[in-house]
Amino acid sequence: MAHRLPRRTFLTTAGAAALGAAGMAALPGCGGGGNADATYRARAHPQAEAWKNRIGLAQGGDDPARNVQTAIENLCGKDGVRTFVRQGDIVVVKPNIGWAQVPEMGATVDPTVVATVVRLCREAGAATVKVFDNSVGTDAKCYQFSGIEEAAREAGADVFLCQRHRFRTVTFADPRCKRLKEWPIYDDVLTCDVLVNVAVAKTHNLCYVTLCMKNLMGTQGGDRGKMHQEIHQNLADLNVTITPTFNILDATRVMIDGGPGGGRKDQVVRADTIVCGTSSTTIDCWAADPAHLPWPKGHHDLKAVEMVARGAEAGLGTADPAKIEVAA
Amino acid sequence: MAKRKKPRHLLHVLRIVSQLVFLGLFVGLVVATALGTTVTDHPWLARLFLITDPLILVGMTLAGAFSAALLAALAVLALSLLFPRAYCGWICPLGTSMDIIDKVLFRRRKRTREAAPALRQMKYGLLAALLVTALFGLGVFGWFDPVCIATRSFAVAVYPIADWAAKTGLVAAEEAGIDAAAGVYDWASGAGLFIRDANFKEGTAGIGYLWLAVFAAVLLGIWLAQAYQKRFWCRNLCPLGAMLGLAGSVSPFRPRVSDACIACGACRDRCKVGALEPTADGERYRGLVQECIFCYSCEREFCPVDAIHIGAGRPGPVRPEPRVVPGRRAFLGSAAAAAVVAPAMLLDQRTREKNETNPKVRPPGALRPDTEFLAACVRCGACMRVCPTNALHPSGIENGLAGLWTPTFVFNIGYCEYYCGVPADDVQAGRLDGTANLCGKVCPTGAIQALAHAEKIAHKIGTAVFDPTRCLPWARGEECLTCEEQCPLPDKAISHRTEEVANLDWLALPQSKRHRYEDLEARLAAGTLSDTERAELEAMPPKSRLLARPYVLRDRCIGCGTCENVCPLDGPSGVRVERLQTREVRVTDVGGQQRQRGRTGHGGPR
Repeated sequence: MAHRLPRRTFLTTAGAAALGAAGMAALPGCGGGGNADATYRARAHPQAEAWKNRIGLAQGGDDPARNVQTAIENLCGKDGVRTFVRQGDIVVVKPNIGWAQVPEMGATVDPTVVATVVRLCREAGAATVKVFDNSVGTDAKCYQFSGIEEAAREAGADVFLCQRHRFRTVTFADPRCKRLKEWPIYDDVLTCDVLVNVAVAKTHNLCYVTLCMKNLMGTQGGDRGKMHQEIHQNLADLNVTITPTFNILDATRVMIDGGPGGGRKDQVVRADTIVCGTSSTTIDCWAADPAHLPWPKGHHDLKAVEMVARGAEAGLGTADPAKIEVAA
Repeated sequence: MAKRKKPRHLLHVLRIVSQLVFLGLFVGLVVATALGTTVTDHPWLARLFLITDPLILVGMTLAGAFSAALLAALAVLALSLLFPRAYCGWICPLGTSMDIIDKVLFRRRKRTREAAPALRQMKYGLLAALLVTALFGLGVFGWFDPVCIATRSFAVAVYPIADWAAKTGLVAAEEAGIDAAAGVYDWASGAGLFIRDANFKEGTAGIGYLWLAVFAAVLLGIWLAQAYQKRFWCRNLCPLGAMLGLAGSVSPFRPRVSDACIACGACRDRCKVGALEPTADGERYRGLVQECIFCYSCEREFCPVDAIHIGAGRPGPVRPEPRVVPGRRAFLGSAAAAAVVAPAMLLDQRTREKNETNPKVRPPGALRPDTEFLAACVRCGACMRVCPTNALHPSGIENGLAGLWTPTFVFNIGYCEYYCGVPADDVQAGRLDGTANLCGKVCPTGAIQALAHAEKIAHKIGTAVFDPTRCLPWARGEECLTCEEQCPLPDKAISHRTEEVANLDWLALPQSKRHRYEDLEARLAAGTLSDTERAELEAMPPKSRLLARPYVLRDRCIGCGTCENVCPLDGPSGVRVERLQTREVRVTDVGGQQRQRGRTGHGGPR
């Protein structure tokens, strides 16, 4: 007589197998892709069109916090951050926390700058301000070394590490996207009301400089090394799809060589400059210009920073420095 | 179920408490051996169970890899002189886990009577064999040491499996809309409880790939062998148990059976380790001091006539009873077998060592040459548990059979973190003399040396080498430089040069067009081109274009593997860390003139 499988054993085994399979499917990397209909829905700045070629600038002094405030007020008027943050908003502040380097190395945004932005958003009535970055280096170390975790938390932000399963695949459906079809973007970026992109000014081994447009790569998951093939077009596509509500460039320190990782203090110079605007492309166009920031002589000219031209082609801003209106 | 007839001996209760406390301590310490926890601030905690293991002390001393920290094991050895295998019954975490499994799975199973007592001699033979391999400078006794087995199984199998299950459950709950699950996930992640790889590969690989399954299987095997005999491992195989038992042969404390014994055999049926057996004439029973683990179950509970007493008294024979330890011939046989196998393993190792492109690289601070590392490493896996980017994994036999389960880098998963064990405050304050490599911090035997930051970043793990058949700019003419971007050295070890490369658009032209282009090009050089022809030439895609190609500066490269890790290629990376030049510089490890051997100064093709 063949041994009969008791019903209970069969059911429990089958049930356990089904649970296991469901668990496998739920785990990223084992099952299907993320949520396919995820879309970016943060508001554009109300003046986004009008201020496309306009930047706010604050230079001098040794207080980055005051520079941030001044630059924003120069651009937006007295209402400052209130022009784009409303009562009860969920705000994501995406600083560059990409590298495990202390602030003096200029590889990450100055913690004071991040704290100030967080404070201003809170004062403008934001319900939650989230601060995070998909770091390039070992994330926990980057958060600590940059000093941003501590400073932002003190200023009242919710600071957390990115988790792999919370990236959602976003279709790059805009016809202006020429190269990228889709990319996983962090969930909190997709569900926020306002995205504030806070970049730091550094040289870059592949695209000469890394400023606001490239900083947005911190919202991306997946294999970001694959952004490096035709990076300029990729960055334009990214900025078209994930257009920040507001951009701030921290050039308190400028890394003039060894970027973007850095690690040598002698490659960092102080510029005590904060630039802000509604267009990442326009800010990059101004900041990449060797006339405005202390880029090393002969390192690059504006034309070499092709992402600006690609961004302007997509209508994100201007690639012509003469057209930029500086509110200082 | 039979009712318990007699109350437990007080020491029996204390023994259970002790077991649970030590198991809890062991598990807690392994879990907490992570970046930024108290355990990594006080690394002796992470090593606690390993440095108190006398087998490791004796083995390392024989292997010529003695280190002072191991003297802590003298405490356990001293304990065993009085209470031979009390360690096994009261402390050993592996033993406790076996007792728990036995209680859960085999509570009602009758086993002891039919089990073969002669099997217990194997552990003495194994001990002899392992100590002989140690004499040959191989730390392979760690394969069989129970504390190493416990550490390795827990760190490389149990913990990753639990980690995977917890993450899977929490992610599923989160996707189902339970916010609390997301909160728990963030908390656990922030507290360093989760295994996190570089680039969010957590949960996909665990630690050690296949080895995870192997270590889980070894642990399961040890647990389930109890279906045949309680504490099968401890009784028959454990070399540490054999050593403690032999050391304790002189002890006045031993299981004693009085004349009241009626030879009913109740004790033999129930003793976990077979420490009670009939005398040759079968008229009464006797206790075996080398085997008893002092669990105190027998004294009050088993014996119907209270004939058993574990304690001091008239000194028993120091020489083990016959059939406890193997005879001289068997002893010598095991030792001789080891004396044949060990040199064979060494020869195998040396042959592989000569293979220059051997890709298996060691953690920073690993003793060199590799033969010294093989002597000092106990294969416990503590370094794999603590690696913050999950880059360290057990070797297979790529490093030779002798290298089995020694740590090696898998750069596809993680990389050697530049500021590994250095807190932010220390960097800020320029205090860089603390131990910088977590693997070196937790290593119980000093096989991986603790390095200060300056030493660690100068320590050459290996050298990155570009694979011109895979690297995008080299093989396919596409721009990339991700490796250079992410090289963590302040003076980057990867540099690039803009070079003229073939333009695929030009190559895609029909042959006639290409020949026309070359013709026009030649006439341009000769200056005989008309204006229309010049316009025609300019309208065609250029023959070549400019592209930045990366090169390794091998004198700077420390082989941290970040480049290999971040390479965007699927499959093997276009740049890989190899021991290539490590062998040449291993005498000083770093710096100085490297032997040139006809190479020019970069890792890429000329």
